[in-house]
Amino acid sequence: MDDITIGLWVTAFLFAMVVIGMRVAFAAGLAGFVGLVWLRWNGFDYDPARFGKALEISVKIAGQVPHSKVSSQALSLIPTFILIGYLAFYARLTSAMFEAAKRWFAWVPGGLAVSTVFATAGFAAVSGASVATAAVFARIAIPEMLKVGYNKQFAAGVVAAGGTLASLIPPSAILVIYAIIVEQDVGKLLLAGFIPGAFSAVVYAVLIIGIAVVFKTVGPPVTGFTWRERFASLPPALPIVAVVVIIIFFVYNPFGDAWGTPTEGGAVGAFIVFVMALARGMRWGQLKEALIETAKLTVMIFTIIWGVLIYVRFLGFADLPGAFSDWITTLTMPPMLILVCILLAYAVLGMFMDAIGMLLLTLPVVYPAVMALNGGEMVSLEESTFGMSGPMCAVWFGILVVKMAEFCLITPPIGLNCFVVAGVRPDLSVQDVFKGVTPFFIADAVTIALLVAFPAIVLWLPSLA
Amino acid sequence: ATEWNVSVWGKRRAFTEHIEKLAELVSEKTGGEFTMNVSYGGLSKNRENLDGISIGAFEMAQFCAGYHPDKNRVITVLELPFLGVNTLEEEVAVSHAVYAHPAAVDEMAQWNAMYLMTSPMPQYNIVGTGEPRDELGEFDGMRVRATGGIGKAFEAVGAVPTSVTSSEAYQAMESGVVDTVAFAQHAHLSFGTINEADWWTANLNPGTVNCPVVVNIDAYESLSDAEREALDSSVPEAIDYYLENYGKLLTRWDEVLEEKGVEKVMLSDATIADFRATAADPIREAWISDMESQGIPGQELYDLVMETLDGTRAGN
Amino acid sequence: MAGSSTVLEDSSLLSRLDRALVPLERFMALLSGLAVFVLMCLAVYSVSGRKFFNSPLPGYVDLIEAAMPFIAFLGIAYVQRNGGHIRMDIVVGALKGRALWLFELISTLLILLLIVMLVWGSWAHFDRSFDLSRPMWSRDSSIDIGLPIWPSKLVVPVAFSVLVLRLLLQIWGFGRALVLGLDRPVAVPLIQSIEEQARAEAEALEEDA
Ligand code: NA
Ligand code: NA
Repeated sequence: MDDITIGLWVTAFLFAMVVIGMRVAFAAGLAGFVGLVWLRWNGFDYDPARFGKALEISVKIAGQVPHSKVSSQALSLIPTFILIGYLAFYARLTSAMFEAAKRWFAWVPGGLAVSTVFATAGFAAVSGASVATAAVFARIAIPEMLKVGYNKQFAAGVVAAGGTLASLIPPSAILVIYAIIVEQDVGKLLLAGFIPGAFSAVVYAVLIIGIAVVFKTVGPPVTGFTWRERFASLPPALPIVAVVVIIIFFVYNPFGDAWGTPTEGGAVGAFIVFVMALARGMRWGQLKEALIETAKLTVMIFTIIWGVLIYVRFLGFADLPGAFSDWITTLTMPPMLILVCILLAYAVLGMFMDAIGMLLLTLPVVYPAVMALNGGEMVSLEESTFGMSGPMCAVWFGILVVKMAEFCLITPPIGLNCFVVAGVRPDLSVQDVFKGVTPFFIADAVTIALLVAFPAIVLWLPSLA
Repeated sequence: ATEWNVSVWGKRRAFTEHIEKLAELVSEKTGGEFTMNVSYGGLSKNRENLDGISIGAFEMAQFCAGYHPDKNRVITVLELPFLGVNTLEEEVAVSHAVYAHPAAVDEMAQWNAMYLMTSPMPQYNIVGTGEPRDELGEFDGMRVRATGGIGKAFEAVGAVPTSVTSSEAYQAMESGVVDTVAFAQHAHLSFGTINEADWWTANLNPGTVNCPVVVNIDAYESLSDAEREALDSSVPEAIDYYLENYGKLLTRWDEVLEEKGVEKVMLSDATIADFRATAADPIREAWISDMESQGIPGQELYDLVMETLDGTRAGN
Repeated sequence: MAGSSTVLEDSSLLSRLDRALVPLERFMALLSGLAVFVLMCLAVYSVSGRKFFNSPLPGYVDLIEAAMPFIAFLGIAYVQRNGGHIRMDIVVGALKGRALWLFELISTLLILLLIVMLVWGSWAHFDRSFDLSRPMWSRDSSIDIGLPIWPSKLVVPVAFSVLVLRLLLQIWGFGRALVLGLDRPVAVPLIQSIEEQARAEAEALEEDA
């Protein structure tokens, strides 16, 4: 049997295990391990006497992967980004953020909803977790919207959609994971998330204002805040600004003499939020909880990472990604159409899978294919298919798939953000939230279409760095 | 038919051209009976390549001594600062002499590996921003991205070796985390540090890293005579090809410097001699006594390098 | 995709063993969290040292790389105990009774198979880097400051061994549920509906909002 066929069978085995409910990390690790043994024994012509040798070599190859892959400076961003998110609760940054957004933006049509979107975007700048953002704002923002007569479903939809911004706007654990898998510069990718994230927020806001003007589902604008009140709302939210500024200065300093690398930036940001949380009354018990919660989420993510990387190591020996890229590039369809099909496939897959698991499982095969479509990893701008150099294409595709993954957090049947919002509000059913979030599908579809049509939205900022 | 998996890392570049050439020659000479499948990072992390050889994951691999000195203590002699190696040909000669030393052979055998050939790297000269530093006093307090023996050498003259990964080196330089970065020319090009530089030290020549290509002993011994002959006979040709190809890159280097407006800094002989005395001698002595205490003939290895260097120069 | 679940308890031997293992698992998870905290402090120290005193932390990258395995592996059994590792539960979520326990048992046995192999493999990886006759027992050292790597390699088989214990308990629990046809067995993570899960997520934030 040839290596590619083994690769395909093992991949089918992996998906079967995922479907019967095996934990994704271990399913991927086992598939990779079984694949390594099979490949090696196949190389020994299934000689029973040499099965032991094939097993031993494969065990040792697989046994290297967890330590070897996890000992990475770039991956250290993930736990620090997660820690920032948990500490931010104790620093009471979320309510401060909403209050400031309300005082500054609530006067426009659909004002409170617009404020909610901007507050979630602001909170996204310290948190990497979409689901947590949705849960927090469901509690803070929905009651205020209901008070002034908003449609209940619509208010819930705003929060569920706003929560998704957390993974595009840095810090974002999922962007770091993408960067690691595809071996691209973490700093550039984080930087690239800023504008599409802010852009998504603006598209949401425009949509809300449009709905507010045409339909009666939203309440009246909230006016009457004085400039003094507006400015007074800023200091409590200041740590968020501090963290954002620090990350910008670490990743790309407009004034030349910057402070460090992105990995240090994440850690220093976490430290500022930590100091803020201490100042606002966090005690050892709460810190301990935050640390254990951070550990749980971190371990969960890392387990998927090394599990999938065992599978990827097997793919490397079977050379399946190479074969898939070769196949994709021989298709006669226009490359842009192939790219759109890939994105649509993510939309379907994302309905059933977790975002991180989905990216980790698919990228090792899909990413090289997309790069090959563009003309190779090192292709120059002039010779490329999509009108961008290889490294820039990696950034652009990264932002697109992360946006797709976020989109999946609000799609039925298991859009987790919608379930979380419904969980926080006993008066709302999941169906209500899915109904309320429907307009935002359109907003997201528009955003994704614009990001595909005008890559400059994504690439302008990283091209400066 | 024999098919070998070869584990290297990064992208195909001057640093891997001898391996690609070797694969081509071997296949040619055996009429396609013996082929090599060169994988760039798909089979192992670069710092685990020797482990991969030892467990039989693949048959051939490249690694650098400085990545894990404790795995390959013997050949770290080749990474001592200021050995005085000036050309790639000299680098090949001293490397292959040390690889053939019984202590080196024995240490690799513990990893079930044997040295096949080296990947000669030019000296790790530094690029920097701001005013050129061409006197010893100016290295004081300089933040330099340099690892291993070269880092120690700079430390000896008051510089501050700073940890950043090679992929973050450009960013570290741009952001002022480091003032200078020590790399070989091809790495200054591929990691972009040359784009940020104002000057480059043309003749500091503080040392380099040593990156051998090794093969799994069992795999080597199970080759047929014809296959082994094809492999062995192709090594000199592959090295020649590497040297020729790297030569082209070095010629282009001068053009790149000009293009980017990078000043070529020449240090005076007195400055270099001063640097050597301050840095090289104590580091070498410490290395020798450390090796001797572990039962490795440090002095003998160092002498071997010096004799080979003299011999090579006399031969030319 | 479900992340969390609940574990029931009673006075049976199985449940007592389950609860006996939890403090160890939770302590290891806390160590992992503390390692994140140390990482954060290390960065602040490194940046300020470099920025204000021109004395960067030597071997900062080496230290981070050595710390990462502690962060990534120590909590693995704790997360498995609570059913926190991500999975797709559309299919198993629809099953009940013996059919459900059968699927859970099969996938837990498969995980055990993988982890036992990885205890072997990661121990071999550690063993290659460890030599009692060498200075600092080191046969593999870091690139910058020559830190021995074996301690961080040892974390992996240790954490995986605790996970093996956890998996054995869960196999016992699911096997018992399958044989006895139990409805709500102890010592194994029970699937929460996605609504329950979201509510738990919301309650976790309750005190802090
Ligand atoms: Na974020
Ligand atoms: Na979904």
